[in-house]
Amino acid sequence: MAEPPNTQPQATAPATADASDDVLRVEHIAKRFGPVTALRDVSLHLKKGEVLGLLGDNGAGKSTLIKIISGFQKPDAGRMFLHGQPYEPKSVDDARAKGIDTVYQDLALIDELSVYHNMFLRRERVFRPVPLLNNREMKREARRALDGIGINIPRIDVAVARLSGGQRQAIAVARTVNSESDIILLDEPLAAMGVKEGAQILDLVARLKEEGRVSIIMILHNYVQVFEACDRVNMIQEGRITLDRPTSETSVEEITNIVVDEYRRAREEEHANSHAAEPETAADGPPSQP
Amino acid sequence: MRLIALREGSIIVVTVVTAIYFAANTSSFFTGTNFKTLLPYFAPFAILAAGEVFVMILGEIDLSIGAMYLFAPILFFKMNTSVGLPLVPAVIVALLMCAAVGAVNGFFVAVVGINSFVTTLAMLFTFEGLALIVSHGTPVATPGASLHTTTQNVTHIVNGHTVTLPEQVNHISTFAKIFGGGTYSELIWAVGIIALLQVVLTFTRWGLYTVAIGSNKLGAAEAGVRVKLVMIRNYVLCATLAGLVGIFEAVRAATVQPDPAGANEILFLAVAAGVIGGTLLTGGSGTVVGALIGALFLGVLKEGLILQGVNANYLLFYTGLAVIVAMTANVFVGRARRGQTGGG
Repeated sequence: MAEPPNTQPQATAPATADASDDVLRVEHIAKRFGPVTALRDVSLHLKKGEVLGLLGDNGAGKSTLIKIISGFQKPDAGRMFLHGQPYEPKSVDDARAKGIDTVYQDLALIDELSVYHNMFLRRERVFRPVPLLNNREMKREARRALDGIGINIPRIDVAVARLSGGQRQAIAVARTVNSESDIILLDEPLAAMGVKEGAQILDLVARLKEEGRVSIIMILHNYVQVFEACDRVNMIQEGRITLDRPTSETSVEEITNIVVDEYRRAREEEHANSHAAEPETAADGPPSQP
Repeated sequence: MRLIALREGSIIVVTVVTAIYFAANTSSFFTGTNFKTLLPYFAPFAILAAGEVFVMILGEIDLSIGAMYLFAPILFFKMNTSVGLPLVPAVIVALLMCAAVGAVNGFFVAVVGINSFVTTLAMLFTFEGLALIVSHGTPVATPGASLHTTTQNVTHIVNGHTVTLPEQVNHISTFAKIFGGGTYSELIWAVGIIALLQVVLTFTRWGLYTVAIGSNKLGAAEAGVRVKLVMIRNYVLCATLAGLVGIFEAVRAATVQPDPAGANEILFLAVAAGVIGGTLLTGGSGTVVGALIGALFLGVLKEGLILQGVNANYLLFYTGLAVIVAMTANVFVGRARRGQTGGG
């Protein structure tokens, strides 16, 4: 395909020496919600055209991280760089204008709006000079985008409340893919999907990867899907990245072991705390790997 | 059946049936004179309800329109008589004041996060109180609305003879004719405002975002909709229209009447008109044209009952029953519209 669009003014941006092919770098991000620490210290990077899988248990901070990158929430500490430039999104609109778009886990679809209005929310096509909605144009483009993904939505002028979970998710993904962003964040894109619909979304991700235009960060729960779809995997545990490995250099077993070890360690800690008075036999120092 | 598919479908049917019933049972229902009598029962509520619909679609409510309705004409009077502003600038200042109150409503609801019922109830009390304080509870003549009586020579033909006699003729000013004093003034305003706002609701981003916020506030925010801004804007619209109607009614009556009880009744009838018209208090769905028809229904009901000679004490009772019947119809029509969910 053609050269990827470079949205950053290259002349004014002296390319930083290291990590020159990183489209996005996140450095030491922290975020608290009152007494709850969602992110302690998270650093990650995303290369051009790469699909990065983000793993971690519920409450590990994955969604918070996505919301910070997408401009929906502001970090308490840390910095972000987009194409080597400092990146501080003021809002979702701002992030989108800079080329970062998001599909949220909680499916930011509006039940009462039609499929095509949902797909074009905040990117509406309007007439000039009187800014009335150009519904015909939006319908046509929405239809084309959905056909492109290969997801079958019989009618795009019905309210999305009428659609199945999988169809809704597909629309949310299509909305983002259609947005001409060069970084796409997918928060559990396969949640609420049937097997066939999930496969279609993974196919779409694979196709986008082949095109090489967009870079993707994707939160997934299913490890097998991670290995199918992603180039690299990052694991978040308790607000930190604990693993960063290309999928070719790790395995479902290794990741599973890490999670299970973490679980055991946490349980032992808990156990130790609740029986602090008893003499300890098992835990002397940090658990050593065999 | 296509009519039923419309949000306004049920209330159109109910209104037409009601009108036919009264036409069949009273001799004077379908007459021009009666239509003129009906107008004041309908046009002001239609405008008030149109503004309220924009707030109700958000899933919020604005009770302070009663206070704006009351306060705006008093402010208009003060601006004209005490400050010495000409009539139209005085109207504009009064409306700007209402817009500011709307912005404060919106601020407390959208930014501070206080429940809209509580916020606007407090604003209702505050500004009705302020209206009483400023006016000292005394009615005054509305500026620019007084009658000018002139003596003119009017020619009659009596028994084939032309007779010209001097007679007293009443005039109202152009200002009064436009701002509510003319017979059809409020109707024209109502139709114009409702047409404009329905277009805004259906065919602009503002309307789209209003529905989006009412349906899924978090989702709209995540998509990048500036939720607070839209909410504040809708409260401003609602309060400004309420002030406008207050001035219309003061001009029509030629008196600024500081009467909170009357204003409260008007507030609730306006909310009722919106709800009857098919706008959900829970938000996410609504229609401005429905508000017009809802107001028309209330007007037809009241006027019909009066013509039938129903005891005035029964009017409110029947209005209450009508709201319940109309709301029940709305629920069923709403289910029919969403219908096929899960049906394959």
